[in-house]
Amino acid sequence: MYLKFIILVFFATSILFVSATYEDKRCKCVCPSLAAVFNNTSDTSRSPFIGNVPPNKCNCEGLVLPRIVDQLNGREQEFCPRCECKYENRNTTIIKVVVIIVIWVIMLLVVYMGFLICLDPLINKRAKASYQEHTNEDDESTISGPSQQMGPRGNVLNRVTHQQDKWKRQVREQRRNIYDRHTMLN
Amino acid sequence: MERFPLKSSVGQKIGLTYQSVYKKGANGGTGRSVPPAGDDDMVDITPGLQQAADVTTPTSHGTFQLYEHAARSSAANAHSYIAQFFSSTVGDAVLFSGMQGDDDIPGIGQYDDFHTIDWQRDIARDRMRHRYIVKKRQDSIWDLIKGAHDAWSGWVCVLLVGVATGMVAGVIDIGASWMTDLKFGICPAAFWFNREQCCWSDTNTTFDSGNCSQWLTWPQVFGDRGDGAGAYIISYLFYIVWALLFAALSASLVRMFAPYACGSGIPEIKTILSGFIIRGYLGKWTLIIKVVGLILSVSSGLSLGKEGPMVHIASCLGNILSYLFPKYGRNEAKKREILSAAAAAGVSVAFGAPIGGVLFSLEEVSYYFPLKTLWRSFFCALIAAFILRSINPFGNEHSVLFFVEYNKPWIFFELIPFVGLGIIGGCIATIFIKANIYWCRYRKYSKLGQYPVTEVLVVTLVTAIIAYPNPYTRMNTSELIYLLFNQCGISNSDPLCDYNRNFTDANSAIEKAAAGPGVHRAIWLLVLALILKLVMTIFTFGIKVPCGLFIPSLALGAIAGRIVGIGVEQLAYHYPKIWLFSGECSTGDDCITPGLYAMVGAAAVLGGVTRMTVSLVVIMFELTGGVRYIVPLMAAAMASKWVGDALGRQGIYDAHIALNGYPFLDSKDEFQHTSLAADVMQPKRNETLSVITQDSMTVDDVETLLKETEHNGYPVVVSKESQYLVGFVLRRDLNLAIANARRTMEGIIGQSVVIFAGAVNPPAGAPPCLHLNRILDMAPITVTDQTPMETVVDMFRKLGLRQTLVTHNGRLLGVITKKDVLRHVKQMDNEDPSSVLFN
Repeated sequence: MYLKFIILVFFATSILFVSATYEDKRCKCVCPSLAAVFNNTSDTSRSPFIGNVPPNKCNCEGLVLPRIVDQLNGREQEFCPRCECKYENRNTTIIKVVVIIVIWVIMLLVVYMGFLICLDPLINKRAKASYQEHTNEDDESTISGPSQQMGPRGNVLNRVTHQQDKWKRQVREQRRNIYDRHTMLN
Repeated sequence: MERFPLKSSVGQKIGLTYQSVYKKGANGGTGRSVPPAGDDDMVDITPGLQQAADVTTPTSHGTFQLYEHAARSSAANAHSYIAQFFSSTVGDAVLFSGMQGDDDIPGIGQYDDFHTIDWQRDIARDRMRHRYIVKKRQDSIWDLIKGAHDAWSGWVCVLLVGVATGMVAGVIDIGASWMTDLKFGICPAAFWFNREQCCWSDTNTTFDSGNCSQWLTWPQVFGDRGDGAGAYIISYLFYIVWALLFAALSASLVRMFAPYACGSGIPEIKTILSGFIIRGYLGKWTLIIKVVGLILSVSSGLSLGKEGPMVHIASCLGNILSYLFPKYGRNEAKKREILSAAAAAGVSVAFGAPIGGVLFSLEEVSYYFPLKTLWRSFFCALIAAFILRSINPFGNEHSVLFFVEYNKPWIFFELIPFVGLGIIGGCIATIFIKANIYWCRYRKYSKLGQYPVTEVLVVTLVTAIIAYPNPYTRMNTSELIYLLFNQCGISNSDPLCDYNRNFTDANSAIEKAAAGPGVHRAIWLLVLALILKLVMTIFTFGIKVPCGLFIPSLALGAIAGRIVGIGVEQLAYHYPKIWLFSGECSTGDDCITPGLYAMVGAAAVLGGVTRMTVSLVVIMFELTGGVRYIVPLMAAAMASKWVGDALGRQGIYDAHIALNGYPFLDSKDEFQHTSLAADVMQPKRNETLSVITQDSMTVDDVETLLKETEHNGYPVVVSKESQYLVGFVLRRDLNLAIANARRTMEGIIGQSVVIFAGAVNPPAGAPPCLHLNRILDMAPITVTDQTPMETVVDMFRKLGLRQTLVTHNGRLLGVITKKDVLRHVKQMDNEDPSSVLFN
């Protein structure tokens, strides 16, 4: 139920942000500024030119000249060799999906962490009475699996709680190793 | 009687017994180990079936008879020794023959937390499982398909691991680069873009800062368009707040969900691959938290990298995916083959260097690396690199941000500065290792260790406050490395490239030129950055967030190398007449490339820190896409390794293994002491050895022994008086088998006699015997008490033993476990032997 809701919201957010479109390909040329070429000053300022042209036309003649040909006054031969052009592509969809997934996972983990810190002790206090200590997790997971035949709903819920308890115990053990006894990962 | 091959014509009978592994095993399969489905527990424990098996197949049971027979027979000759050997291996084989896939007793063949695995036993189990499948293949089409699936499952598994590793690496790269830029600003039109992606197609990008109208820095978001002090302060504050937020999230997620996710993980992976069990270290939660925590901690601007943890992440994926294939999931020794391949894939995606990854796995991480694993690692690394490359996380057609393409020549004289860089790198690395180990030890034994989250926050705060004012530390470390590796082409406008040169052609050679004021300023900033990075990395490596040290060490070396490179370049420019430069450098084109020095320096420091050599050189030349620089890189790596070895014995990973006391028996070290097996074995004098007799102890006796002693295994002997060795049984197996028998078998009570070997006909009226020959290892490795420890240590290393039994005149004298060996080694090296971590 919760899972469905989360997935739904996830897709809703994904669709919501589709509106802005970005190019997936570009040709980027870095050229010196016109002043630096024509006045022979030591001006080092450079200007980038970005455009969407096919890869074989990604050079000074294909991208830069059409834009500034009127300012060059026929000195293309001097200007063009100083340009460096690179053709690049990317996938905006992957970036978007990945970043949204990362945000979602972090948010889920934070919410779950908040739940474990704030609410869980309260719930656990009540359930403490019915909780019994298990010692050997491996045997018991294989043995007690089929023995808990008590209706599908209760069974699933039980198994989830059981798994959660097992996991919590493991984490507690890890925490003790690392933060208290300092036997590992120093 | 075919189970006494030495009794009659030896050769023929040996052939028969040997064949029986294949053929008779089939009988065994149909006769013994195909009980009604769901009732696997009954296999071979019920006395009736056992008797039947005795008659038809040469079981381990029969083997023992042979032993006994041979020992007592006066006619024992050379032939009988051979026969013994063969039949004992057969016995061992048959012992494990029933253990394919579905074990009869649940949990047999697994290990407890913080235990060492027994490679020999696991590999023997796998061999038997394999033979069983090969033999079954003829039975039906379904079995044939099953056999085929089993045969290719290794390749499928590494394929899946490679694909998963590549994808996860893509997620980490994209997520971390986005979040890193979140510290500086946001792209309001499409918040999921980082700055470069945001300004991807905007022609109005200002060239120096990389900002464009679509990318809003935080002061701009709040309406402050100026460039004054106000904007600077707001940026500064936002930088610190975001850094603190990311670091706090990372530290608390690690603490809350998976404490094992902290650190780089390579020392632990090394220990695990050498045959140690750390439950949960390669689990699901560790994977998730390591990925998320890594993104957060890299983005927080701490002085750490994502490359080391990538190895851990890949190993987690390898472990999780190996459970899809029982061949690997249920056999710890086989699983380590997959883990070796996964470690290769981890480095492959971290540096975009598949071959370097394989060599890294071979040189640095793996312990047991047969050729089969080499090919699988190669395939796995290739797939992972290919997947990451298709995701193209940085938009530069490569899988790392700091990929540079180099094609400049170097001159012979330059080897001198390169070796010099190697020496500098070795010194920096030694300082780093010593200081970091000192600080980690202090953290381990002092009150500081009680405040892990606070420590992370303090380190982050200090790093952020100091790092922001210096542009070279403010930027992402990968970008810094890229900047330093790069040459000063026409499109590079950093102050570092402020030379008095005039470009007339982007494709022509770069002339040497006088350094402008920008270069001098940049050098000072770089010196400051070097000191800051060194100090901060010392304090950062070891805090409780996922953190690796490849990138910081590369950055340290690259800074040092670039500074040296600029120095040599200016020397060549100002004094072109010196004989050193007069030959190749006279034309002034392509003479000294400072970027190349940065690369060599990076290799030197990384080599000094990790003590890698071959894999490091290969990684570096895969990063630069050219084989031209192998010689400079090799010279620097070797020099740095020599300097490092001279100043301090261990690399950072070995030092951390020693600090934590992991039971890692390094195969690179040599054991140079003259002690004998008798000096090391347990029990010492005046203590008795806990043994189990083969056929005279009751269940109660065994359980009392289990309660009173806490050894992890017990030798089984013929009788307490004779102490003739029969085999070795593990505590865990014994516990499980007795519990299983009490649960599933009728009539097993405390007075039942436990039979490990030998044929005993219980007297009528006595409770039924408990046959435990299935869990008995009939082929334990033994040495005599006069064996030198050098040999014993070599056996432990090369065979991957868990324990070996010590005999004297053929009688059992004691046991040497891996723990005893490690303690002995520590004692001989004058270290504290109690620091070894074992259950």
